Amino acid sequence: MKIAVLNNCVPYVWGGAEHLAQALTEKLNEYGHEAMLFRMPFRWQPPGKVVESMLACRLMRLPNVDRAIAFKFPAYYIPHEDKRIWLVHQFRQAYDLWGTEFQDLPDTVEGRQIRAAIMRSDNLSLGQAQRLYTNSGVTSARLKKFNGIDSEVLYPPLFESSHFHCVEYGDYIFYPSRVTASKRQHLVVESMKYVTTPVRLVVAGKEEAPADLEKIKRIIRENRLEERVTLIARFITEQEKAELFSRALGCAYIPYDEDSYGYVTLESFHARKPVITCTDSGGTDVVVKDGKTGFVVPPDPKAIAEAIDRFYADRRSTQAMGEAGFELMQTLRISWEHVIECFTR
Amino acid sequence: MKVIIASCVVPFVEGGATFLVEWLGQAIKSRGHAVETLLFPFSANYTEMLDQMMALRLLDLSQHGDRLIAVRTPSYLLQHPHKILWFIHHHRPAYDLWGTRYQDIPNTPEGICYRDAIHQADNIAFSEARKIFSNSRVVAERLKQFNKVDAEVLLPPLGDPERFHCRSMGDYVLYVSRFTHHKRQWLAIEGMRHTKTPVHLVLAGKADPDSAAYVNDLRSQVEKYGLQSRVSIIDRFVSEQEKIDLFADSLAGIYFPLDEDSYGYPTLEAHHSGKPVITTSDSGGTAELILDGVNGFLTAPDPEAIGQAMDRLYLDRAMASAMGNSGRERIAQLNITWDNVLEKLLG
Repeated sequence: MKIAVLNNCVPYVWGGAEHLAQALTEKLNEYGHEAMLFRMPFRWQPPGKVVESMLACRLMRLPNVDRAIAFKFPAYYIPHEDKRIWLVHQFRQAYDLWGTEFQDLPDTVEGRQIRAAIMRSDNLSLGQAQRLYTNSGVTSARLKKFNGIDSEVLYPPLFESSHFHCVEYGDYIFYPSRVTASKRQHLVVESMKYVTTPVRLVVAGKEEAPADLEKIKRIIRENRLEERVTLIARFITEQEKAELFSRALGCAYIPYDEDSYGYVTLESFHARKPVITCTDSGGTDVVVKDGKTGFVVPPDPKAIAEAIDRFYADRRSTQAMGEAGFELMQTLRISWEHVIECFTR
Repeated sequence: MKVIIASCVVPFVEGGATFLVEWLGQAIKSRGHAVETLLFPFSANYTEMLDQMMALRLLDLSQHGDRLIAVRTPSYLLQHPHKILWFIHHHRPAYDLWGTRYQDIPNTPEGICYRDAIHQADNIAFSEARKIFSNSRVVAERLKQFNKVDAEVLLPPLGDPERFHCRSMGDYVLYVSRFTHHKRQWLAIEGMRHTKTPVHLVLAGKADPDSAAYVNDLRSQVEKYGLQSRVSIIDRFVSEQEKIDLFADSLAGIYFPLDEDSYGYPTLEAHHSGKPVITTSDSGGTAELILDGVNGFLTAPDPEAIGQAMDRLYLDRAMASAMGNSGRERIAQLNITWDNVLEKLLG
């Protein structure tokens, strides 16, 4: 089958959705289909440009294509009679961000008209898709709330998982991620003051701003945690990451209020390691079940320290939770096999 | 420098432009620039063309990249303050093919409106471009004739020419191209009828989606002439490595398209493998590269003349090899290199 994968594009900017669209294209080819990725440049300032981008997509054609799979606004407006959508998010400025400081669209006659046009077009386009999936419960709930449209959650798998494996349940907790305020590495580092077992912590990732890194270094210095905390303040390769997971005791992933569960949790479960996350982390609760596949604790260093100590003190239970995490991914059908099935059957 | 490359494609149909865009991106990246390549799906059905042209016009890239290099028609309608065109062909049915059997827009008042709209849109885009390069002399002449614009010829190199090499001057002439009627693989078979030596012919490439019948006809043609033991037809996707190996042991390359604009990649592949090229006087752009008797033969599109050229190369391998080397020199002389391309496009 010839499949066109559609996404929007801000030149030189690559985020989660861009990688997901690229990954899906590669996997479709791997599974024996012919797939091509088309990316539509999207500009939203001044606000009239939003409408022009929408119209541009509406005027595009997809000859010689059996099926289209679309990701982001406004790429899903490109017409095709057999269109399936995997919605990562809508143009949030017109929906949940309207009325917040991130609204972006002006609250003027023109701004309100643009907002109404987006909503009307979304209702039409999303409603007409042959199948409508979203990447998370949060996205599905928003779609229901604002557009009254039902959708099915299709969880995005890791692009490649075969290199993740378990060698042992070692003596350190691993937190790989971009070092930035919203990922809250500083909370885990601080929790190391309170642990009572000889457990260690490895934080790895490139900092988004120098201040993010400075804050963590200061906590380490002021609490003399140099022996306990290893900070790898750079981009680490997939191979390094897999290696560090393979000998970790468990994983920490405690971002603030994210839509999705994040790839870190999946990587950890593929290495059979349980995950500590926080009650306010957002989408991680889809895969991190308290006491079953890890621990869900308040965003408080003492509570985090307690969870870390429990990992260390009861290795048997830690291993069981790591394996349960792996099992849960199968139950939730977080796999390319399932994704390909959804888009090609 | 940040560069955006844009082009239009009919999804899943590969042609020379597909490779040009891919290789251009690699070449720019390899010199340390940031490249974003944007491909737009495009239907060449004239009733849908204006909508799609409007779509491209509405997409505004003016805030991104230091320059935009637009390749295939009509990607140059995209908006960008520093727009460079490496123009490879018009929508030819609206230009030089108008009035021929390839004209796909009806000659009605409505059809003429479509044609004129295409011309006008092109003219606007051309006037916005900082500089227009064309991939061949023929295309530059057409731009002058129809649009009154000057274009500088910038000849496209192969993506990775170093991989091609010569292992032996074998006993087969090689025609690597997709199978479609205007590439005239049938003319090469006709030529084989007139050979007096045991020279072989290998035809290799993927058949176009609508060309299954054409390939069957070629097979019948081979059988009819009893050439089964001397003509091989490999009608499937041929990997880059297979192609390199096929060229390495060939006697010569063949390229017989009917009136194409540019010299085509098969001629470069043959020359980089140290092989001469047989082409015909009505093939178009191949004459820009192939000098008769120097780096190959430019024969009349006549089976007998083609058969003779094949025989001459078969009988005199030393001459064939010398002509192949002249082909390499010819490429150097015309400066068909990525260094030259990037100097022009990024300069």
